[in-house]
Amino acid sequence: MLPNLKVENLSSVRSEKVIFDNINFDVMPGQNIEIIGSNGSGKTTLLRTILGLINQDKGQILWLDDNDNYNKFRTFDCFYQGHSLGIKNLLSAQENLRLSSYSFGVSEEKILSSLNRVGIKSHSSFASEMSVGQKKRISIARWLLKDFGIYFIDEPFSALDDQASSLIVEIIEELNAKGASFVITGHRPSEITSNQITLDHEV
Amino acid sequence: MAFRRSSTYITPLIFFLIVISFFPIALSPDQDFLRSLAPGVIWIAALLSSLLAIETIFSEDFRDGTLDEFFISNDPSFVLVFAKVLCHWLVTGFPILLASLISSLILYLPVSSLLPMICSLILGTFFMSLLGAIGAALSLGKSAILSAIIVLPFSIPTLLMGTAAVSSAIDYQDYSGFLLIMGAMLAIGVPGLCLLTVEAILLNYE
Repeated sequence: MLPNLKVENLSSVRSEKVIFDNINFDVMPGQNIEIIGSNGSGKTTLLRTILGLINQDKGQILWLDDNDNYNKFRTFDCFYQGHSLGIKNLLSAQENLRLSSYSFGVSEEKILSSLNRVGIKSHSSFASEMSVGQKKRISIARWLLKDFGIYFIDEPFSALDDQASSLIVEIIEELNAKGASFVITGHRPSEITSNQITLDHEV
Repeated sequence: MAFRRSSTYITPLIFFLIVISFFPIALSPDQDFLRSLAPGVIWIAALLSSLLAIETIFSEDFRDGTLDEFFISNDPSFVLVFAKVLCHWLVTGFPILLASLISSLILYLPVSSLLPMICSLILGTFFMSLLGAIGAALSLGKSAILSAIIVLPFSIPTLLMGTAAVSSAIDYQDYSGFLLIMGAMLAIGVPGLCLLTVEAILLNYE
């Protein structure tokens, strides 16, 4: 089986400071990668570099295309969730999911079932009226809207209670069983089964 | 979403009308005098009003993380930027168009100049929204006034053409040349400025 994503000798240097150096990993279908590091160790920069938001200085990022060839440009269906959750305060929970799924089109039933799955009952309440934890649950509901190939999630376990953390582990395992992979970052190893990469270079 | 935050479209509208109404009060209520000032006054007020909310084009999306998702989605970033600019124009530029009709009464503009005024404002305010998008992209996470400072010097050609079109109509001269130049600026500006805005946004991730 071919990896969906290959990262080879990836390096990033900003203002003569090495953010990360010689990073190598493959993302196999259904497999998870955890990038562990302290604040400022370059976790977010690594995710953004892989996704093309930041130019890489050295190395290769290769994505598997539909014909099992590796291309330099992203040909794989990805989902990204950064530090900020991507939730609009002026929209309701349901509207937020509708906005997220605008480009690929999802039925209202799917939106409602995704919200129910993460325990959001007040579908029409504005996000501005919700707690940070509830907003985080809405952002998790977006993972369920479509079967993405690889999910890139920046610190999914931060600022969550035990119940919500267990929900994330449960959902990641469910999606792994469907062949989806996760590349997540965190300060310490989580409960999910994963290959771990440690970034210990303080920036 | 912008319609749910009324300040986005009400603030430029009120600002525009206040600026226009100051002139008869501060200078003179004389019809001929106001008519001679009208093209410049309307255009300066329109430019400043359209810049009031310019910072909001991308700032909220940048703050709440949706901009990251836009750029990572399979949709072309250029199209997303154009859609954001069009929405911004609909909530700020379009109300100014309507308010300019009221301002034409305050400043005694002849009816014959209304068509060139509206046409030039449509072309000019949309071009300003495109220019503003670059300013907003370059000043993401920084002071709101910075985007206006970046954009204002580049708005001079629009100001000159727009004012000249309305002045020509007041003097019963042909104004179509000015509108054609503004149209050409917009035709080049849509692809050119949208692509530059995409690059300017990406600079914020570096």
